[in-house]
Amino acid sequence: MTTATAVSAGPMEYLKTIGVTTNQSGRGFINPYDCGFTNDGRIMVLNHADAARTALIRIGVLNWDEEYLGEFSKGTGRGEGQWTLPIGMTISNDQRIHVTDEHLHRVTVFDTDGDFVRMWGEKGDGAGQLNGPAGVAVAADGTVYVAEQYNHRVQVFTSEGEPVSIWGEFGDGDGQFNMPWGLALDTTGNVYVADWRNDRIQKFTKDGQHLTTYGSSGTGDGEFSRPSAVAVDSEGYIYVADWGNERIQLLDSDGHFIQSLRGQATLSKWAQDFMSVNPDEYNTRQIANLVPDLPDHLDTPYLISAQTEPYFWGPVSLRLDPEERLFVVEANRHRIQVYQRRKD
Amino acid sequence: MSNADIALMAHLMRRAGFGATRDELEQLVGQGYENVVENLLNPGDAGVMPDDVIRRYHSEMAEMRELNSAGAYWMYRMVTTRNQLEEKLALFWHGLFATGYSKLNQANALVNQITTFRRHSLGSYKTMLVELSKDPAMIIWLDNHDNHRDNINENYGRELLELFSMGVGNYTEDDIKECARAFTGWTLGNVEYMSTRASRDSIWPYSRINWHFNYRDYDHDDGEKTFLGHTGNFNGEDIIDIIVQQEATARFVCTRLFQFFAADDVNEAGEAVISDMMATYFASEYEIRSVMRTLFNSDYFRSEESRFARVKGPVELVVGAVRMAGTYQEPTFGADQLARQAMYMGQGIFQPPSVEGWHEGAEWIDSGALVERVNFVGRELGDPSNPGVRAIIDRMSRQSAGALSPEEQVSACADLIGPLELSEGTFTSIREFASEQGPADLRDGSRTEADEQRIANLLRLLTATREYQLA
Amino acid sequence: MTTTNNDRSLVVVQLTGANDPLNTVIPYADGHYYDFRPNVGIPTEQVIPLDGQLGLNPNMAPIKALWDEGKVAIVNGIGYANPTRSHFRSMDIWHTCEPEKIATEGWLGRVIRDLDPAGQNVITGVNFGRGLPRSMGASGVPVASVGNLETYGLFPDVEEERIRGLCLDAFGKMYGGSIQDAVMDYLGQTGRDALKGADILRTAPEKYSSSVEYAENPIAQSLKNVAQVMTADLGTRIYYTQHGSFDTHGDEIKVHGGLWTQVSGAISDFLADLDEHGRGDDAIVLVWTEFGRRIRDNGTGTDHGSGGTAFIIGNQVNGGFYGQYPSLAERDQLDGDLHWNNDFRSTYSTIADKWLGLDPVNIVNGQFEQWDFVRN
Repeated sequence: MTTATAVSAGPMEYLKTIGVTTNQSGRGFINPYDCGFTNDGRIMVLNHADAARTALIRIGVLNWDEEYLGEFSKGTGRGEGQWTLPIGMTISNDQRIHVTDEHLHRVTVFDTDGDFVRMWGEKGDGAGQLNGPAGVAVAADGTVYVAEQYNHRVQVFTSEGEPVSIWGEFGDGDGQFNMPWGLALDTTGNVYVADWRNDRIQKFTKDGQHLTTYGSSGTGDGEFSRPSAVAVDSEGYIYVADWGNERIQLLDSDGHFIQSLRGQATLSKWAQDFMSVNPDEYNTRQIANLVPDLPDHLDTPYLISAQTEPYFWGPVSLRLDPEERLFVVEANRHRIQVYQRRKD
Repeated sequence: MSNADIALMAHLMRRAGFGATRDELEQLVGQGYENVVENLLNPGDAGVMPDDVIRRYHSEMAEMRELNSAGAYWMYRMVTTRNQLEEKLALFWHGLFATGYSKLNQANALVNQITTFRRHSLGSYKTMLVELSKDPAMIIWLDNHDNHRDNINENYGRELLELFSMGVGNYTEDDIKECARAFTGWTLGNVEYMSTRASRDSIWPYSRINWHFNYRDYDHDDGEKTFLGHTGNFNGEDIIDIIVQQEATARFVCTRLFQFFAADDVNEAGEAVISDMMATYFASEYEIRSVMRTLFNSDYFRSEESRFARVKGPVELVVGAVRMAGTYQEPTFGADQLARQAMYMGQGIFQPPSVEGWHEGAEWIDSGALVERVNFVGRELGDPSNPGVRAIIDRMSRQSAGALSPEEQVSACADLIGPLELSEGTFTSIREFASEQGPADLRDGSRTEADEQRIANLLRLLTATREYQLA
Repeated sequence: MTTTNNDRSLVVVQLTGANDPLNTVIPYADGHYYDFRPNVGIPTEQVIPLDGQLGLNPNMAPIKALWDEGKVAIVNGIGYANPTRSHFRSMDIWHTCEPEKIATEGWLGRVIRDLDPAGQNVITGVNFGRGLPRSMGASGVPVASVGNLETYGLFPDVEEERIRGLCLDAFGKMYGGSIQDAVMDYLGQTGRDALKGADILRTAPEKYSSSVEYAENPIAQSLKNVAQVMTADLGTRIYYTQHGSFDTHGDEIKVHGGLWTQVSGAISDFLADLDEHGRGDDAIVLVWTEFGRRIRDNGTGTDHGSGGTAFIIGNQVNGGFYGQYPSLAERDQLDGDLHWNNDFRSTYSTIADKWLGLDPVNIVNGQFEQWDFVRN
């Protein structure tokens, strides 16, 4: 029998789960890929959907109390503010929502009312061009960092979208990348990149000088399989979405392993609404073991997560809210699990 | 390297796989027919499009929420695998053990079922039937989760005998009941919740929860059973042990394999091959690898008689065209179309019309399906920017001593997408088309986009022929 | 069995995803409705009343206009025994008329076969959409599936018109010659049928002109295509199309309302178009969905339920309510859903027998009481 430990001991505390799946517009998530926080307490969730369902792509708006406040979308296509496969989102200090689109190869900027501000990028490998933009981060001074998965590089832009510099190329040496995905900044402006297909996190100065590398391929503590996202808190602790291992790891500021999380989702407020009107499902759910022992051939993290609902499945983004609560965005489970590091 | 060798290898690859390009055929002929058969029967690294790359790009295939995601995910594998027989056999088992999404609402379980088929495809038929009986998708599909110690449900027991092993006329109604009793307690983990979700098509609250097998000892009828003349306190494995020893089972599985891989219709020569396959089945302790070796190495299979004796199924047709065109080699926007196209042609992956699978042979094709077939394949092979089409044009270019006559154009194209044997009427019709559309000069220096498009037009027309519909 | 009514046709509109009956034909006078629908209910003042008890969704004004003309039959409480709440399975049941086991042959396939037993017209049945709905599938029954009528046929993506013409000529010749082989001969006949069906259908848009301006949405365009084929007198009798998704687990008020705006407008325009061409008496429209939805809302939408509503609309329809509107009281519910009270095969039988003049028993797999919604 295959079993997995849900939580290893450590400072991470589970707070709650937000969201529920949907197949329509409105309340609920459809393959959420990222989230962000406005100064006035709103939570924005980027719903990626998929190529056959682009009409459902949107940014949904809610708050910590799980009230659904609305959504916005300019629709699918190449027009201003439209999208096709949006995968990364961040909200800058000046309250601008930056969204990357890996199909349109561009960055689009909205204000927090959902109005279009600007966009830049087209497919290519020159300066100012993008190929498969993924993670995006904006520094305090407005500088925009974009990880380009198919150009295997990080490109830096001004807040207006003017190209500033480019680092990296395909490879597995220091400062080289293999399909980078998520990207994060620490309080001093250093840049952390989830070097996805190299199974590691690389840390750079804000000018792109390689500082250090965390992790290597594997399933052990401090090892990664296709990390998708990284976040760094005010004390320098590093959170990594270990996507291929379907888990979250907490590292200290030197990159030493502290704790691994496998997920422990519970019913969100919206999920409870569903259960309250579908008693046949709720009653049978109550007698089910949601963390079952599985046959030996179902032995990969992916297969285990596919049948273990509380576990992370497809953790594609990690974001810290102003109170440094960690939001784990799960594309395959249409929800966000929220944790917080105990500070003692 | 003779044309006959190429034609034979093309035949083998159409049947054991989805077809091969000329470059591939030349390489395979160099290895020798029987070595190629051995490689097909002993697959190594499949070299398929990696799961991580698929799941990163295709959120729908990562989640495997619904039908077309699962179908396209499998088709990516068929399109990119080096182990063509592995996927062709999986497709065969999917048709034989036809399990449908409609009752399950669980694409992940269906994908796992195909993985199970792949794992046991070339091994013992006994193991295959045991694993099939434990397959969660099959359990829900044929109601074995409702088969209880105190209240049997015969559905799985009946179909196991009728559709998966012996065929009607080889057992009694009592045997069915005893068989069903032996499979009581074979169910899913959390079956109450999972079957409720299945029956309500629920993705709530947090998407599908995949299934796994669970044996409930307390719900299993451990009493004495008499099955096909044997008596004992049989459990499911014991029943399957008896089933696989039956001559009817050998005949059944060998005939189905023959019809899928050799010819839609079984003639006298075919009967002889089936007898040989049955002998191998018993001699090898029910090993499918050995049975397939007997088939592929038989004189009948290698003879002209079995060439183009099957109508290509829709999945075969779509995958064959895509492999020939060289498209979908990496994650592609709108890849769900691969699955949808086969459905438009009458073979929705994971949507067999019933537990009996698809009606094959000429029944694949009606006028609606034919339009879909012609248009899809034409789009793939009628576009000179597709890598496989370009490769065909490049090859013709290398072989060109001068501008090609209409006759030369048609012959070369028919050769390179097959070789395809054309009837005189078909050949004449396409030659006339070639004359009308104008000359093609593919020599370096004189080759233009218009020349390339003319060749692509010919490929489009050649794949629209009756002859191309056959494998 | 009466004689086959040669000029009558049936247009089937499937509302895929399971339309919510409670927000379509609204029991606005019943307090239970507002108790169970605190978040996903239609306020009384917005309901379009049909009588003192039931009213239409506010987005269905065009249907109300037809109702006032006596052209709308509403079958409430339609369903079947032991209802499943799985989309695919329930659709299969409605398509095949076989609730107990998994069947392969569709009821409209059998209708087409009975209308044209010799298969003389390859377009007796036409589906507008990609992929054949199971209801139209029956062995040996040719049916055309038309994604886009303007480009329907072989080689639609050959851009150069001259080359496409040459391709079609060559195709005709390739599939024309007889080859001494049963499979090849069958393929030849099939290819010629395909070519013929496409040739015939392609003439429809060319012949058509109308003052009706259909909206730019898929259902309106499909029904426009139906009108084009019908007015071209090509002998097509059964038309099929679908619209959705009505699977409104969330954002129901907006999504469901938007869909009904489209469906109502499309049907109204379609019937006006037929009237303009003097064909309004020749067609009825059947609108169906695979099941209903939960009586109690889930906060923003409704989940899978049972007991639905079907519509039969046309000049030759006896307007009014058929079937009982199921009670919303808890004691009358079926596991939290509306309790069906009439089998969908009664509605099918009525159409097959009274509208198309066919013996319904084999078509719907049994004898079912019929309604009076067809004028004679």
